[in-house]
Amino acid sequence: MQEILKRLESDALSALEKADSLERTKEIEVQYLGKTGHLTIILKGLKDLSDEEKRLVGPLCNATRTTLEEHFAKKIKEFEDKQLAKELSKEFFDTTIPGSMRPLGHIHPLSQLQEEVERIFSQMGFAVADGPEIESEHYNFESLNIPKDHPARDMQDTFFIQEKDDADHGRMVLRTQTSPVQIRAMEKYGAPLRLIVPGRVFRFEATDASHDSMFYQVEGLLIDKNISLAHLKGVLAEFLTRLFKKPVKVRFRPGYFPFVEPGLEVDFSCLLCEGRGCRVCKHSGWMEFMGAGMVHENVLKAGGINSKEYQGWAFGFGLTRLVMMRYGIDDIRLLTNGDLRFNKQF
Amino acid sequence: MLVSLNWLKDFVQLPKDVNGKDLGTLLTLKTAEVDHVIDESADYENIVVGQIVEITAHPNADKLKITKTSIGKETLQIVCGGQNIKEGMYVAVACLGAKIKWHGEGEPVVMEKAVIRGVESYGMICASVEIGLNNPNEGPREILDLSALKPEIGTPIKDVLHKDDIILQFDNKSLTHRPDLWGHIGIAREIAAITNSKFKPLKVDIKIPETGESVDVKVKDKELCPRYCGLIINNIKIGKSPDWLIRRLKAIGHGIHNNIVDVTNYVMMELGQPMHAFDKALIKGGIIVRTAKKNEKIRTLDGKDQNLDTNMLVIADLEKPVAVAGIMGGEHSGINENTTSIILESANFNPSSVRKTSVKLSIRTDSVQRFEKALDPLLAEEAVKRAAELILQICPEAIIAGPITDIQKFNKKPLKITLDTEKAKSKIGIEISTQEMKRILENLEFKVTEKGKKTKTFVVEVPTFRATKDVLAEDDLTEEIARIYGYDNIAPTLPQLPTKLPLENNERTKKHRTRELFSYGLGFDEVYNYSFYGLNEIKKSLLVESHHLKLQNYLSEEQTHMVTSLTPNILKNLQENVKNFSEVKIYEIGHTYLEIGEYFPLEEKKICGAILVKGKSDKIFYEAKGCVESFIQKFNLSHVAEAKGAKNTPYAHPVKSLTFIDHRGKSLATCFMLHPTVQKNYDLEKYSIALFEINFTETLKLEETKNSYKRIPKFPSISLDVSVAVDKNVEIGTLQSTIKNAEKDLISDVKLFDIYEGDKVEQGKKAVAFSITIQSPDKTLTDSDMANTQSKIHSSLEALGGKIR
Repeated sequence: MQEILKRLESDALSALEKADSLERTKEIEVQYLGKTGHLTIILKGLKDLSDEEKRLVGPLCNATRTTLEEHFAKKIKEFEDKQLAKELSKEFFDTTIPGSMRPLGHIHPLSQLQEEVERIFSQMGFAVADGPEIESEHYNFESLNIPKDHPARDMQDTFFIQEKDDADHGRMVLRTQTSPVQIRAMEKYGAPLRLIVPGRVFRFEATDASHDSMFYQVEGLLIDKNISLAHLKGVLAEFLTRLFKKPVKVRFRPGYFPFVEPGLEVDFSCLLCEGRGCRVCKHSGWMEFMGAGMVHENVLKAGGINSKEYQGWAFGFGLTRLVMMRYGIDDIRLLTNGDLRFNKQF
Repeated sequence: MLVSLNWLKDFVQLPKDVNGKDLGTLLTLKTAEVDHVIDESADYENIVVGQIVEITAHPNADKLKITKTSIGKETLQIVCGGQNIKEGMYVAVACLGAKIKWHGEGEPVVMEKAVIRGVESYGMICASVEIGLNNPNEGPREILDLSALKPEIGTPIKDVLHKDDIILQFDNKSLTHRPDLWGHIGIAREIAAITNSKFKPLKVDIKIPETGESVDVKVKDKELCPRYCGLIINNIKIGKSPDWLIRRLKAIGHGIHNNIVDVTNYVMMELGQPMHAFDKALIKGGIIVRTAKKNEKIRTLDGKDQNLDTNMLVIADLEKPVAVAGIMGGEHSGINENTTSIILESANFNPSSVRKTSVKLSIRTDSVQRFEKALDPLLAEEAVKRAAELILQICPEAIIAGPITDIQKFNKKPLKITLDTEKAKSKIGIEISTQEMKRILENLEFKVTEKGKKTKTFVVEVPTFRATKDVLAEDDLTEEIARIYGYDNIAPTLPQLPTKLPLENNERTKKHRTRELFSYGLGFDEVYNYSFYGLNEIKKSLLVESHHLKLQNYLSEEQTHMVTSLTPNILKNLQENVKNFSEVKIYEIGHTYLEIGEYFPLEEKKICGAILVKGKSDKIFYEAKGCVESFIQKFNLSHVAEAKGAKNTPYAHPVKSLTFIDHRGKSLATCFMLHPTVQKNYDLEKYSIALFEINFTETLKLEETKNSYKRIPKFPSISLDVSVAVDKNVEIGTLQSTIKNAEKDLISDVKLFDIYEGDKVEQGKKAVAFSITIQSPDKTLTDSDMANTQSKIHSSLEALGGKIR
């Protein structure tokens, strides 16, 4: 009996193996497991056996039945899956139709870059400070060691407000730099001080593709004990490297600004040629970036900080210029004329 | 400023291995920015002196000749069309590889072997224009004849033409603070210090007679003229300057006049001290240095008539001004071809006075450029002697008439500064020995005395040519040490992070979040506008001019007033953008400046947004309102109430406007449809425009509502709809509160979902539909609860005159 069952099982499995369609598989299933199937007949015959034989053969028969049922079910599932896959693949569905989304608006590129700059400096422990855009001569010039007859105070550089003159404040101006916030911050918080001031500044100068009467600057200030130019180099290199996401080197040159001493011009290694020299950097390998230096003792004094105890540096760079560089914008006026064909690109 | 390397070599022993480009870089890194380094000889490579040894006719061309031309080591066959060529003639030969501009025009081309009408040619015999010369005696089809010079055959042409200089072009801006660098000698001194080479000071070898005729000088204002040196030289013969002098002045881009004027310019370019020469015969009496009288006039050397004012310093004779001090001489008393006797002026003028006068008269000269930097008064005497020396050299028959008149009033006490070397090191951020610091300062001609071994302090005496403005305090010395030591040698270091966290800037953070809300949440585009607008804009927006700050100086009529509202510029944006877009949603975050009768104006930060669609639509009002509501919700602003209308907003529609106020009654925001008049003024009648303005500064003052967790309701809610017909002018707000009040405890939400006016309702009525949510915290609501609530709602609405539909 055992042998009969074994043969039956292997016959059934090899027949199943050869089955090449769902129909054929079902036919074979009926042949073996149907009402008059081979195995069913054997199972039906069990009742005629003695109890002892039943005990012996019964489990064998059941095992065979389970095995066959499992194999048939598996084979049938395979065919059904194949069938479904075939049917699904026949359906037409167009995935190239554009996604339906609510159109996003656009944040101005200056705002975007400004936030990036603020984030990087914040991570280096700098606070972000603000100040008024309309300033007094006192804050914009005098306290920054720019005395009355300095060329920077000529009419050609500064916007003045009519009928605003005061013994303490002097005339009223549109701030020509973010530097007055240095003094305001020193007065308010004292030393130590570590902050940046991104903001709008004004220059009374004719507008063309690369000059505008209004643009954005970022001022930086670090005052503490033993702060040096080495720290300035370190902070700027780190900032630029993070901003441009590649190693950037910083170069100092002598420069003159009344509110710093020593005064510096700061260049960074050309992003395109990495210092080898190319058209963009006029073959120098360097891009002019900003003015900086150690805060002049007269400025510290004006801000009420003891220059014997504290020292530090300040820098100021053009955020507008950085935006133009980053996106290859060739006309500064695009940033302020509100033409959405421009603004929607960012 | 242009500087000649050949000229510099008079004063500094340059290291052999330094080339022009390296020197330029070195100066840029340590002294001042060199924009360009121009090698004069670069254009003359492979061009040499040749001699025509043989001329034969060209077989195929009448106008061409075949020459055999010797260039020393070899003889070349060159085809030439020059009409003036003859055997034995010395010529300039462009050999193969030379770069030549054909007939002096266009881009240079490289000379190659050519076959000209069937005859091989190995180079070119050049015309003057082809090697950058201008020879008026040369005909149109002639070549340059060098026979008169008899140069050695094969000599590079650059040597014959003395085109062997290297010119450094400095960025003038980077020399602003360095009066000592406005002459070759100053740059040479600097180069000596930065290259560790020997500086060769100028030695003037001239005998000034102790007696004789000298200039009568009266200085009326010694503040404005701390020093005036005058010298008379007689027996002058005006003529052309010698070639070497012309070459030097031309090399640095200076104009050429006559021997006397050229000498004064030469001395200025050499020492940095501007000078002037008067024709003595045209000066009546002596020299008087004074401020101009009222209504005085002068015609300056450029032929322009200038009106002087009483703050302007002039050089005058007994009758009239003869020069504007330190700026420009007068035409009348200038050197001319008949001049035989001159007065040389070498003076020191107050820098700010010179600058102010120059700005007022709109005259910028080399002289102004130098005086405004604050020159060393000691230079004046050196310069007059140097000029006299040169004049005698060029014009040997000239005679110095007598002693130098020298009127002076300036501080001769040397400036001494104490330098704490430790402090200097800590500021630069380097380790450097005191000996090295001392050496650096001494190379720059500072005198250093060390004070006390332990304290490491220097007492530094500043050379006079640095002490007028540039080096006045300790930090100025730190700069000298830092730049010569080399900024490149400073290693970048990150400062330690502070122990205290930086102050939070809540405003900045909120600004960025606001942009995200409006741009990415509500689909608006951000714009930036100027902080000013013009009177036209003020009028078009119905604003009041007197509330504005007005600019004293402005660039255009559209930029005369500081903005008190962002709206006018936003409207301008709309006007421009409707040309390209049929719908516009924009906003700006910016400052407004309101005159409030105090010194500083009220400067506030505002957010202004606009929605524009084609045709008539009041719906966008609610979109604008929704923007303000989103803002309030986003920042959890508490206790905000609504009030009809918008005060101080003349460009708002009087009825279609709404103000959001806080608990103090302060206006936080408004939203409104644009006033029809303003809409017309901006040519936007075909569109509907809704705006919102948020006073960002005010909203920052408000407390944020604390957001705390509320338990999610245990029992299910039921929703029911109610539709009611009411009079048209019953407000939705009234209906909503009526519904809510019908069963306060159970009704958790009342949402408007439809307003209908039309055929299906009676005239003068509208049908309004609400979706109402009822919910109990304690139990699952039953059908009878719902029926109960519904009937309460119905009767409340009916009490208002509504008909349930």
